[in-house]
Amino acid sequence: MLEVQKLYRSFRGIPAIEDVSFQVAPGEIVGFLGPNGAGKSTTVKIVTGMLRPNDGRVLFEGQDVSKDMVGFRADFGYVPEEAHLYNYLSGLEYLQLVGRLRGLGEAAIEEKAPRLLKLLHLESWQYSPISSYSKGMRQRVLLAAALLHDPKLLIFDEPLSGLDVVSARMFKDLLELLAAQGKAVLYISHVLEVVEQICSRVIVIAKGRILADAPPSDLKRLMSLPDLESVFAQLVEQQETRSVAREIVEVMQIAHG
Amino acid sequence: MTGLLGRLIERLPLDFRVLYRQFMLRVIDLEALSIEADVERFLGQFAGVLIMISLISALGAFFSTIAPPTTPEGWLALAWHMEQSAVMNMMLVVGLLAVIGWDATFPDRRDVMVLSPLPVAPRTILLAKVAASGALVCIAVVALNGASGFAWPLILGTNLGGLPGFLRLCAAWWFTVTAASAFLYCSVLTVQGFTALLLPRRIFLRLSAILQLAAFGLFLAVYFIEPSFTSLAAIAAAKDSRWLACSPAYWFFALLNQMNGSWPAGFSWLAWRAWIGLGTAVCGAAASLFLCYKRTMKKTVEEPDLVPGARGWHWTPRLGTALQTAILVFSFRSLTRSRQHRVVLAFYFSVVFGLAISLLRYELSGPTPLPVTPELIIPTILMMAFSVIGLRNVFPLPISLTANWVLRTTQVCPSEKYIAATRRTQLLFAVLPVWIASACLSLSFRPWIQVAEHLAVLALLGFAFAELSLIGFYKVPFTCSYLPGKSNIQVTFWGFVFVLLILAISFAPFEQSVLDEPLGYAGLIAMLGAAAAGLWVFNNHQAKAAVLYFDEPPDEVITTLGLVYQPQPKP
Repeated sequence: MLEVQKLYRSFRGIPAIEDVSFQVAPGEIVGFLGPNGAGKSTTVKIVTGMLRPNDGRVLFEGQDVSKDMVGFRADFGYVPEEAHLYNYLSGLEYLQLVGRLRGLGEAAIEEKAPRLLKLLHLESWQYSPISSYSKGMRQRVLLAAALLHDPKLLIFDEPLSGLDVVSARMFKDLLELLAAQGKAVLYISHVLEVVEQICSRVIVIAKGRILADAPPSDLKRLMSLPDLESVFAQLVEQQETRSVAREIVEVMQIAHG
Repeated sequence: MTGLLGRLIERLPLDFRVLYRQFMLRVIDLEALSIEADVERFLGQFAGVLIMISLISALGAFFSTIAPPTTPEGWLALAWHMEQSAVMNMMLVVGLLAVIGWDATFPDRRDVMVLSPLPVAPRTILLAKVAASGALVCIAVVALNGASGFAWPLILGTNLGGLPGFLRLCAAWWFTVTAASAFLYCSVLTVQGFTALLLPRRIFLRLSAILQLAAFGLFLAVYFIEPSFTSLAAIAAAKDSRWLACSPAYWFFALLNQMNGSWPAGFSWLAWRAWIGLGTAVCGAAASLFLCYKRTMKKTVEEPDLVPGARGWHWTPRLGTALQTAILVFSFRSLTRSRQHRVVLAFYFSVVFGLAISLLRYELSGPTPLPVTPELIIPTILMMAFSVIGLRNVFPLPISLTANWVLRTTQVCPSEKYIAATRRTQLLFAVLPVWIASACLSLSFRPWIQVAEHLAVLALLGFAFAELSLIGFYKVPFTCSYLPGKSNIQVTFWGFVFVLLILAISFAPFEQSVLDEPLGYAGLIAMLGAAAAGLWVFNNHQAKAAVLYFDEPPDEVITTLGLVYQPQPKP
């Protein structure tokens, strides 16, 4: 359904991503992993049309999305990493705005928006301004907005950030159901346990390049490591964390007047 | 002098100085400025405008010596007129400052959350905020009277009593404008403070925004409506007038003259009102600020982070397609809920409001029915133009740039549909209200056929103004990043005012002349209709190829390094 081909993007001459290619098929949940600054957000911004690549292309159902970005936008839902919303709107008003921008009829918005908010435990706060919401509540509003128009492709960037245990569990169940209904899901996260549980395939990116693209079980078997966290640490050559922590404490304890 | 001042300032506690500096930069409501705004530059520009007004007034003083009044009554009329103007102008400026810096003197949630965990006493916060607000009022007083506060006393005081007369009038002038400023600023603080203390915080926050706009309207309305009393006979005739008794501007005018020794004894009660008002306002402000810092900070910390919102009134009328409704409702909510946008729009609408009030005053004072004359045509055209340009100038101010990804990822319609929705917003929120106001202001006082003809002209002009204002505007209102200074607003604004005034003054007699000539009127309508339609077609054509943008592209600047290669002459 989604095919990314040889994406390249640089900022002021410094490459952010190089030769990034992968696919997400219908009914598949693909984990997209990488350390901070690896190029995940740049890739996602290009896929969602917010950023243009210097080279490469993104295909959706076989069509180059740059030729019909408007049509592509109608088919995907997106939950960004940071919950940036129009804070002066209430949760319900925000969903109404998104629904209208997506061209949904008023009747459909009136039926779907309050129900989604209720199911996401936001019914009591639907008329309160988003500025007063907690991080988890904002995340749930974003989730509702991404699902409002029943998209074919879903892109979730750190969707569990700020969610409580119950909401996180519900979200995992939701992902499985969405995949079962044939939706393609691109799932970006740092919570490797969850990725290991729900993703059928994992793509690891570091320093702008794809390092691995395989099911979690295959990665563990090939690298002879017990879990995805160990695989990830080895792939991205993570530095020794304990010594860094020790250094931080040393800096903290420098005497001050 | 500067060194002495510097040493004095250094003796103040460090936390007070740090907070004072911080609050001084924030004394213009933080929410009323864009995040990149240079507050110091803004204050400098503000002072520059006031100094310019002061210089023009001072120039008027010296021009008055070219053809001076020949009688004592003439001198008195001139003196009273200028003194009333000085007091009224000062009160208007301070009133507008109080509106722009609304809530800046009171502790807000950010102050409480940021400063509470730090070892800073609430009284230091209070004193720093009061000092910052006071400094701003002082800047306004000095800037607005810097030239006129010496020029007019020099001309008027010297004429009436030589050098002692000048010194006495000068002292009275400066004391009065300072006292009038303190009175008004403290009155606003008193009302705000006691409203905050008496009402639950949530209700207060809602009411505060309404109070801000009400104060804005009140200050402007009073300024434009207040009559001028320039003789003893006029004062005596207005003895029982409500204006004279209730308007603080006359109290302080009386105070100025009482201090100058030029006020009739029978009316000293007016000057006493100034003293009583000043005392009450200062005490009220001190008490409300003290209580607010004692109670509101605690209340702010204790208030729950999240409370369920009331359903309220959530009916949304169908305003076209789903996209048009989305943009219109989004624009309306942005305008009504963002203080920054409200204040900027209020600046332009203050001109519209002032013109409307002046027009109403003219209509009420004149005989009825009046024909449609330039006295109606010019203000209504100006109101329409200022309304359209005001809204257009608010559109580029972003409300939440980080949230714009929503609009980018949901753009499922071509750009021209967004541009059409923006046009509808302009027509609904700028053109229609002025058109309705113009109809209300004229239908009761003028022959309805002529009024209907003028309203048709005004509607076409409004449409044409809206189209003109949207040329090249390929963005959703309130969503594009803003480059401060790019539009060079202080130059374009005055240029716009100048051109508009000339056009309106030239157009009005022509329109008046054709109102009773069917053929000429039809020609005028056809001409305006063609212009409006032409602009509409042009904008639509341009919109088809337009791409919505959310980032203002910076101007490409070529910087020359000034490195010139000069070959040395060979020996």
